[in-house]
Amino acid sequence: MRLLRTVWIVVVVALCGTTLAFAQQPASEPARSRDALIIWHRLVLELVRHTATYSPPVASRAFAYLGVTAFEAVATGSDGLYSLAGQLNGLTLVPARGPGLTYDSAVVVQAAMAHAAARLFANTGPTGQRALKVMAKRAGADAALGVPEAVVRRSEDHGRAVAEHILAWAATDGGAVIENMGFPLDYKLTEGPAHWVPTNLIRQQQVPLLPGWGRTRTFAMPDGAACGLPPPPAYSEAPDSQFYREALEVRDTVNNLTDEQRAIARFWSDDPMLSPTPPGHWISIAIDALEKENADLPTSAETLVRLGVTLADAFIGCWHSKFEYDLVRPLTYIRRVIDPKWEAILNTPPFPEYPSGHSTQSGAAATVLSEVFGPAYAFDDGTHEDDGLPVRSYPSFWAAAEEAGISRLYGGIHFRSAIERGLDQGRCIGAYANALRTRN
Amino acid sequence: MRLPGTLLAAVLALGCPAAQAFETPVPTFVEETAASGVQHSFTGEWEFMVGGGVATFDCDGDRMPDMLLAGGTSPARFYRNASAPGSALTFEAQASGLELDMVSGAYPLDVDSDGATDIVLLRVGENVVMRGLGGCRFERANEKFGFDGGDAWSTALAATWEKGAQFPTIAIGNYIDRAQDAFPWGSCTDNWLHRPMGEERKFAPPLPLKPSFCALSMLFTDWNRSGMPSLRVSNDREYYKGGQEQLWRIDPGKPPVPYGPKDGWKPLKIWGMGIASTDLDGDGYPEYFLTSMADNKLQTLAAKPADSAPKATFSDVAFAKGVTVHRPYTGDEVKPSTAWHAQFEDVNNDGLADLFVAKGNVSDMPDFAKKDPNNLLLQKPDGTFEEAGEAAGVASVETGRGAALADFNLDGQVDLVVVNRNGRTQLWRNLDAGSGNWVGLELRQPAPNVDAVGAWVEVRCGGHTTRREITVGGGHAGGQLGWIHFGLGAEAKADVRVLWPDGSQGEWQPVEAGGFYELVRGQAPRRWAPGR
Repeated sequence: MRLLRTVWIVVVVALCGTTLAFAQQPASEPARSRDALIIWHRLVLELVRHTATYSPPVASRAFAYLGVTAFEAVATGSDGLYSLAGQLNGLTLVPARGPGLTYDSAVVVQAAMAHAAARLFANTGPTGQRALKVMAKRAGADAALGVPEAVVRRSEDHGRAVAEHILAWAATDGGAVIENMGFPLDYKLTEGPAHWVPTNLIRQQQVPLLPGWGRTRTFAMPDGAACGLPPPPAYSEAPDSQFYREALEVRDTVNNLTDEQRAIARFWSDDPMLSPTPPGHWISIAIDALEKENADLPTSAETLVRLGVTLADAFIGCWHSKFEYDLVRPLTYIRRVIDPKWEAILNTPPFPEYPSGHSTQSGAAATVLSEVFGPAYAFDDGTHEDDGLPVRSYPSFWAAAEEAGISRLYGGIHFRSAIERGLDQGRCIGAYANALRTRN
Repeated sequence: MRLPGTLLAAVLALGCPAAQAFETPVPTFVEETAASGVQHSFTGEWEFMVGGGVATFDCDGDRMPDMLLAGGTSPARFYRNASAPGSALTFEAQASGLELDMVSGAYPLDVDSDGATDIVLLRVGENVVMRGLGGCRFERANEKFGFDGGDAWSTALAATWEKGAQFPTIAIGNYIDRAQDAFPWGSCTDNWLHRPMGEERKFAPPLPLKPSFCALSMLFTDWNRSGMPSLRVSNDREYYKGGQEQLWRIDPGKPPVPYGPKDGWKPLKIWGMGIASTDLDGDGYPEYFLTSMADNKLQTLAAKPADSAPKATFSDVAFAKGVTVHRPYTGDEVKPSTAWHAQFEDVNNDGLADLFVAKGNVSDMPDFAKKDPNNLLLQKPDGTFEEAGEAAGVASVETGRGAALADFNLDGQVDLVVVNRNGRTQLWRNLDAGSGNWVGLELRQPAPNVDAVGAWVEVRCGGHTTRREITVGGGHAGGQLGWIHFGLGAEAKADVRVLWPDGSQGEWQPVEAGGFYELVRGQAPRRWAPGR
């Protein structure tokens, strides 16, 4: 109930109405701004889970645009923050605040996030739509607590204008329209035993997810090929080949899993529509760390934008490599070559194997978060408490990223090379986000 | 003039070069909504985005299926079947006492075994057992039966008679905590198990079935032919956290226990909305069709060891059998489908169970098809299915929810009613089920459980045995009680027998095609004709 707990703080304040409003001293503008930033990200973690098109790549894109929206909304009223316009591919300057006019940044951020979330999740179901409306109303009231009406109106207009600017930019990236949950109607499988074939009996997934995602416009890195990878180990069915040895490692590991390895595989499974997805998992980690550290508004905004941007870039870069090499999954190879009855413990995702998407995006996330919080920042991860999975503790973000990577081998869905090189790819991609200038 | 289904299919194929060639006789359904006298809509917004069930049963003694339609924010509506045998479908709205509002679903069940069918109303609010008084009049019986209707968003029901019980056991599936109207995710409320109060003819206070995961369909079913039905629960993953599909062991006198990994049960997480079951492959064990969004599931036991009881491990054979029905087959929408009520019936009397699936967008869900035609999947001799909804005339793109396949005019051809959300309920008459023969059967045994819920009926002809489990539950928010239809193909005669709920086995007894038979326990089949 992590989301609900947070949300209901807002709700209770709103429901208690004027009595509480008069009784309480409104929080400071930066504090209210940060609350708006965090609460919308938390709601979006739920919306990602409950919106069918939001596979991990699509989810990462939403986190990126929300992060940019929030950052730019804050930056328009901050002398300390430096706009990302001209740094992110295709982003131009967002509308400025009117000279000499008073704005409230909390109302600006709240309005910008509400507008952007409603548009990015226009395709969510009836329950998500209700939640968006209720959140806009109640969080809007909370952000405006104690702010003069004229300032509220002006600030809301500005927030929406910033969001509109970002949404117009988003519409041109090639990833805005998702048909059939991302599964193309026509797709020709690559011939040959080295290449991906469907791994399940779901009719919709007899073609791979989002084969063109690697061509989506990137944010901080030049393009999807900027952090390209060397080829995976050469395909071979010879027992002395590296390919066979890596497959054997997956088979043997899965067949002899320890309880701890099984728990790790489940913890990082992050299945779409059953979790906030892998990028959402890292957003959840970041939000917890920001709240634990009581991070100020600039730090919160720049952390979430760097993280969102690098997660999105990671999926674009990873997908570029996946469809460059179009490698067969362990499930297919092991059943064909080693053990026809072998089963992985996780559902094999419906797209090519190399590199591991979770590894790439976890490497990128760890690169960014280590820069913000430090390379030895220990934290507890309770992302899946609501789903009954216990909290796990890590000595650093990289320790978590490496565990996320190896979880895919424990789960039986990736070979070791895809994991190790995925982490390397993530490190490369994360560096682009870290290179963004966010302060004056 | 009646055109045989196969001929009609051929004519259609000739007339339209793009028409599909079918391997099975395609029935001809004609929509008779306008003339039927049924004018009803299941209405409501968020709290009625699910539900919309229909119950079919006979309450006036003419053995023709009457029906109750859930109304959501509108009152439920009862329609007496006034059809002449073999003629157009005709219904008359009639005050029955069942006209409550906030009804999401309804299941017929003779709770007190007095021979007058009772109705359990699933509601957003208090569930109500309505006792049949005869003549299609009903009265509230919660107090009389000791039934605690609670206060929840109820969406599913299954009933059985546990061994030795004088009263049924009713499982109620509940959905979201409706107080969490803004952020309902993870707020699934407890399902309930209403068991008999000892030897008394009333219910004990309900047991919570923990954990509960927002059930949208439940079915008591003897999946392993142990003689003791288990409770299958299909859950909506949209709202649960940490949930999955469920199977509960409900042993008499013992607390319910969910099947788990040690029993072979494997987690399956779908947008579970409806359950249909029948023994498709003739192995004696039921298969289960589970409706969902995008791909639907057809489960069969993964292994059936000859020398031991099967484990609760199921394989999905929907793809192999051609029943994933994951996206519209008409129109140009490329978005996935949303499936609700499902039911196996032999609609073309070829001796093979066919499958109907009601389809419809949840509510303003742009990622899923808006114009989502109902499916009519005809089983082919090789066990796979072919889509014939459009050719048969039932490919409505209204927003379907509940449905029932029943022979409303007792002509030996299965008709169809579909409840649409915020749209008019539709009726189709099956004008031509092909040239196949059929038989209609009805079970009767002394109280308790006069309708023999939990029995298996077997029909043997042409070297094949088909069988059906008599259940109350499944589908989406509605069920049927009445004639059990078997297609016989070309066979003019068949042998039938009943495996009664207490485990006793009836004798094989002959019946002739084209007739309705009462199978009264311990007696020879008694032929019955409409209008007598």
